[in-house]
Amino acid sequence: MLLIPLLPLVSFVITGLFGKRYFKEKSHYLSVAAVAVSWALSMYVLVQVMGGERLNWQVYQWIAAGSFKVDIGILVDPLTAVMLLVVSTVGFMVHVYSIGYMKDDDGYYRFFAYLNLFMFSMFMLVLANNYLLLYVFWEAVGLCSYLLISFWFPKKSAANAGTKAFLVNRVGDFGFGLGIMLIFLTVGTLSYTGVFSSVATIGTGTITAICLLLFMGAMGKSAQFPLHVWLPDAMEGPTPVSSLIHAATMVNAGVYMVARSSPIFSQSQTAMLVVALVGSFTAIFAASIGLVQNDIKKVLAYSTISQLGYMFTALGVGAWTAGMFHLVAHGFFKGLLFLGSGSVIHAMSGEQDMRKMGGLKNKTKITYWTFVVGALAISGFPGLAGFFSKDSVLAGTFHKGYWYLWAVGLIAAFMTAFYMFRLIFMTFHGEPRDEKAYAHAHESPRSMTIPLIVLAVPSALIGLVLGLPPEDGYIDHLLHPVFENVLGEVHHFGLLDGGLMTLSALIGIGGIMMAWLFYVKRPDLPAKAGARAGFLYRAALNKYWIDEIYFALVINPVQALGRGLWRGVDQLAIDGFVNNAARFVRGIGNALRPSQSGGVQSYLMTMFLGLLVLTISYWLLTM
Amino acid sequence: MSPLQQYLILAVILFFIGAWGVLARRNIIMVIMCVELMFNAINVALVAFSNYSTTGAGRGEVFVFVIFALAAAEAAIGLAIAIAMYRLKQNLSVDDLDELRG
Amino acid sequence: MTEFNQLSFLIISAFTIASALCVVLFKNLIYSALSMIGSFLGVAGIYILLHAELVAAAQVLIYVGAISVLVIFAIMLTGHRTGDINVFFHKQAWIAAPVCAVAAAALIAVMATAEFNSSSNSQNPSDENIATMLFNEYSFPFELVSLVLLVAVIGAVLLAKKEKN
Repeated sequence: MLLIPLLPLVSFVITGLFGKRYFKEKSHYLSVAAVAVSWALSMYVLVQVMGGERLNWQVYQWIAAGSFKVDIGILVDPLTAVMLLVVSTVGFMVHVYSIGYMKDDDGYYRFFAYLNLFMFSMFMLVLANNYLLLYVFWEAVGLCSYLLISFWFPKKSAANAGTKAFLVNRVGDFGFGLGIMLIFLTVGTLSYTGVFSSVATIGTGTITAICLLLFMGAMGKSAQFPLHVWLPDAMEGPTPVSSLIHAATMVNAGVYMVARSSPIFSQSQTAMLVVALVGSFTAIFAASIGLVQNDIKKVLAYSTISQLGYMFTALGVGAWTAGMFHLVAHGFFKGLLFLGSGSVIHAMSGEQDMRKMGGLKNKTKITYWTFVVGALAISGFPGLAGFFSKDSVLAGTFHKGYWYLWAVGLIAAFMTAFYMFRLIFMTFHGEPRDEKAYAHAHESPRSMTIPLIVLAVPSALIGLVLGLPPEDGYIDHLLHPVFENVLGEVHHFGLLDGGLMTLSALIGIGGIMMAWLFYVKRPDLPAKAGARAGFLYRAALNKYWIDEIYFALVINPVQALGRGLWRGVDQLAIDGFVNNAARFVRGIGNALRPSQSGGVQSYLMTMFLGLLVLTISYWLLTM
Repeated sequence: MSPLQQYLILAVILFFIGAWGVLARRNIIMVIMCVELMFNAINVALVAFSNYSTTGAGRGEVFVFVIFALAAAEAAIGLAIAIAMYRLKQNLSVDDLDELRG
Repeated sequence: MTEFNQLSFLIISAFTIASALCVVLFKNLIYSALSMIGSFLGVAGIYILLHAELVAAAQVLIYVGAISVLVIFAIMLTGHRTGDINVFFHKQAWIAAPVCAVAAAALIAVMATAEFNSSSNSQNPSDENIATMLFNEYSFPFELVSLVLLVAVIGAVLLAKKEKN
């Protein structure tokens, strides 16, 4: 059990320390092997859990300070197993993919070392059995994300993106930390079992506060509005990084954390509502920005934010299994889509702007077909994974009575289908817009295409495997024991659901058709629509100027404050104080030095005077 | 005013004249001479005390003898130093002895 | 002779104080030295008034006979300067005068008003008594003093020697 996280850790240490000198091009052997073994073990764990095994094991007592006790411990239950499935599979595929993608890069060994460190942290995060350990590895995955985003750190925009990710995450983590402290204050323990069993004893106000603080952390890590700003910029990192961390695993940590804390969240209606509202708003907000972006990775980034919004919506309305189902499905197809986009970028020799692409479907067949599978999945095309998972989310919101959230979700689904196929049509279909790059385009090496194919399989099939019959499928059964106390009444598939399902399928197909219309049949439409929409179009293109708002409201005032303090306090007061103290002492020295004239008689005089004064004052005092 | 007090007042006056001389004059030999003056004043006081005391008769004189000897020794050394200094600096001004200047 | 002769005391002490003042005030070193001899003689007279003849004799022998001669030798072996008053007196002499005066006044006040546990008659220890005390009770300081004198002699010779080139 411990091997799952420890193998990548060992590989990280060895590759990181020795990779530069000894491994170089062979660096990947150790790291990929480590992750492969971890994957195999994760599968084994999954099988065991499916068979009913559970584990709550205290490995080592880490802190024992009076009443504050924290262990390093491992909890394995269906939720963990499901997360392990996603993390290890996508991680394994990304490692293999990176062999091809990162070839000839100077930091080859460093990349794999960081990837392994990330795998270690993510595994431990999922396996942890108490909040403090969760928090530690929460920060650790943040660190890896930061390291990997700014992997090409000589490029200033990459370094800035890494810093931005770090800072925005910090804001969220601040809330998260406060939440954990509040938990400890009210309950006295931080282990999951301990906290969940005492949940009923906490007052509603405190519970809401705890939930909101924890959710703040999730907002930062999983890029929900308004802490979403770091994710699009994180696309500065190499594409495998975007795929692994920012699509399939790290951003899911927020969702995982909320799901794990379901006993706490379900006690507070307010908190749940907040989660759902933020989730659905983010879903539609990000989708609208993704509609008009021109960089292939940015479209996918906003898509990720939007889909995460879906997951939070599901969690917020109480459809826990639906949310987790979508997490699993999204992990696979978004990971696939990112790797596919990386393949496209590789084919276009580094070009990422879709306006320069076109007509690639003949040149990069494998990439094209796997990409289509992924896009269909995310659009909710009937039969593929996304269809089932997205539908369960929407059905969940509908059945719990949140009509408006359901409607928002539908609109966002339409937009999702639209922008995904816009991407496909602009990239793969039509005439090449840049002849020179098109001439160079070639299919990617096998190390990159094989993971694409491998990931396409679950994207297509996992819906069928886990999701049938809807709301009563295998995944519901698997996760039921975890969410036993909080699921409420289990809804069974009825006629209404059939209608809903058809409706969402139609919406998805409608989006695809509209994209086809806009970008294949009548390519002049986008420009016209853009002109008609005017302000909205420009707003979406500029990400609604959120970054600018942040700069004006937060960053510039803080920098001004810093400058002011530097000049006023540091230079003036502190330096002035220190310098003047020195000057003062020197001045006194200069004033007193003439008395040391070296002449004996003046000394005698002084002594005599002193003696006289002393005597007379003594005499006066004792009079 | 008893005789003892008068002798003592004389001693005080002599002592402070000598003290003023030590502080005010610039020539080393002058300073040494004034120091001898102070010694004398002390001796006068001692002998006066010993003369008018009930228990210490005679002891004052003994002490005075010791002081004579010591004063002589000190004068000898001081004057030797003065001569050495004259050889070094060609003048006897006390102000020139300022090597300890800070 | 147990009574106290006020008049002779006043005359001798006036003479002594005047000589002391001359010592300090003269610019010419030889004049100062001669005034010093005068003050030593005056002090010897005081001793005689105090019926301490032995001490008076020792005073004349040691101070007038030896120390004064020594001082005059030193003055002769070194030059003397001429110049304005600043060559002879410090600038701080002006401060020193009132300070000493104040101190003297204070002490005099003390002397005049203190209660001394003294007899009104003068005791006259005979020379025999003094000698007995010197050689019996205070023999140790006596021997030490001789040691000090030896050291002083050697030191003075060493200090004043000319460097051999």
